[in-house]
Amino acid sequence: MICENCKRNEANIHMKRIINASATEVHLCGDCAKALGYGGAFSSFGLGLGDLFGNFLSHTPTFSNTTAVRCSMCGNSFRDIAESGRFGCAECYETFYDKVLPSIERIHGQTKHVGKRANKENKDTHYITDTEDLKQQLDKAVEEQNYELAAELRDKIKEKVNKKDGEEKTDE
Amino acid sequence: MNNKWYLGTGAQSDVIISTRIRFARNIKEFPFPSKLGVPERIRVNNILEKAILDCKEYDFKFIEMKTMSQLQAVSLAERHLVSPEFASSGDGRALIITEDESVSIMLCEEDHIRLQVMKAGLSLEEAYKEADEIDNAISKRLNYAFDDRIGFLTQYPTNLGTGMRASVMLHLPALSSLKQIQKLIETVSKLGLSIGGSYGEFTHAKGDLYQLSNQITLGISEKVAIENLKSIALQIAAQERAAREEVCKLKETEDKVFRAYGILKYARLLGVDEFMQCISLVRLGAVRNILNTDEALIGKLMVDMQPATISISVERPLDDKDRDELRAKLVRESLK
Repeated sequence: MICENCKRNEANIHMKRIINASATEVHLCGDCAKALGYGGAFSSFGLGLGDLFGNFLSHTPTFSNTTAVRCSMCGNSFRDIAESGRFGCAECYETFYDKVLPSIERIHGQTKHVGKRANKENKDTHYITDTEDLKQQLDKAVEEQNYELAAELRDKIKEKVNKKDGEEKTDE
Repeated sequence: MNNKWYLGTGAQSDVIISTRIRFARNIKEFPFPSKLGVPERIRVNNILEKAILDCKEYDFKFIEMKTMSQLQAVSLAERHLVSPEFASSGDGRALIITEDESVSIMLCEEDHIRLQVMKAGLSLEEAYKEADEIDNAISKRLNYAFDDRIGFLTQYPTNLGTGMRASVMLHLPALSSLKQIQKLIETVSKLGLSIGGSYGEFTHAKGDLYQLSNQITLGISEKVAIENLKSIALQIAAQERAAREEVCKLKETEDKVFRAYGILKYARLLGVDEFMQCISLVRLGAVRNILNTDEALIGKLMVDMQPATISISVERPLDDKDRDELRAKLVRESLK
């Protein structure tokens, strides 16, 4: 299928949008999608440029000598993920972690999650985020030789850590 | 429909129409929706329904998408309650929603759970707080797919990490008329954000409505992502205001605003594209005090006059011409 915009390249991004009361599919090549800033209300959530993940993966050198390892939960092979640009289940990430990590880094520029954590028992789901944010601010303050602010931030971190320890003890 | 969230106005609403926070979540025990057949998705939906409706502090309603007509489903997408993709097929999909439509949860879209909270105006912290609380309540009842290293696990790796997409809807008629949008698209993409037409258009967004969202979800906390988005949104809003100042000096702008108002007030057939073009100018005129039209009414019309939404407001089926005639009539009456 040819890209609807440039009418030259092969369209590899397909997405639904609403035109005059019905859901219509549009087809674009990666270049046009990017040039058109295709990241609207919904396309930005996964579809849109996310589909380029398939392209990213297919350029990884490990692709050519893929062995037939399959995800034990959904049966996906690495090839399935590379071709569709999407994972089959949570277990896929575990199974192909090392192989997909370079592509994840290319998308996000990072490979380490900071932010909310999912844990039923964890009462303060923002504990780690907050302390990590504070630590970043502390480093910056020290760098800028703003020692007054640094001392303040250090106290705040201490307070959070103590509070957390206290909570854990009462839990036990 | 008198209690909907979009009937209110909020901070910065001359430029920033609304705020949305979305979380993508999956449960550990099942493959992602694209790997599930319809019966399995229905089973997953039932489990999710039970867990989510158990959060009694929210007044949630569960709707199986199969029970809706195509027009009703598309109307939900026009109101940004579900994605166009979600509206395109009801098989094995369900929606959980609050009465005022400010909270909606898509079940078995790309991920098992897509939770969203919407607010009028610029209200990122408040919307996040609410989404976070609902998310916590749900997570007590389900096992989320989560990895310590790469965060919440999602079908597309673009959502890994926080799984959060925060966005604001911007009304940019002046930047648009000064042909600044392409430049804006290029600039924000360098800042880890994306901007696009609110209805998924390419460059010329209907009604000059644009959606600005964070693009990066891994290696950045929710708080920092929201702060970044807010600061860029405020800068764009300032640019838009400066641009409005410029274009409103021109007699041509005043003329365009009044002509648009004239069309809305007197047209007998009004297609959606022409309507959106005119209402955008009327909104500009209203916030700049060129016209004395209520901002909240304009916001309501922008939603209610969309093709599917207008079609479901009447009992009988409408063809395109009927719809344009009805739109003209309703707009005319509301601008009296």
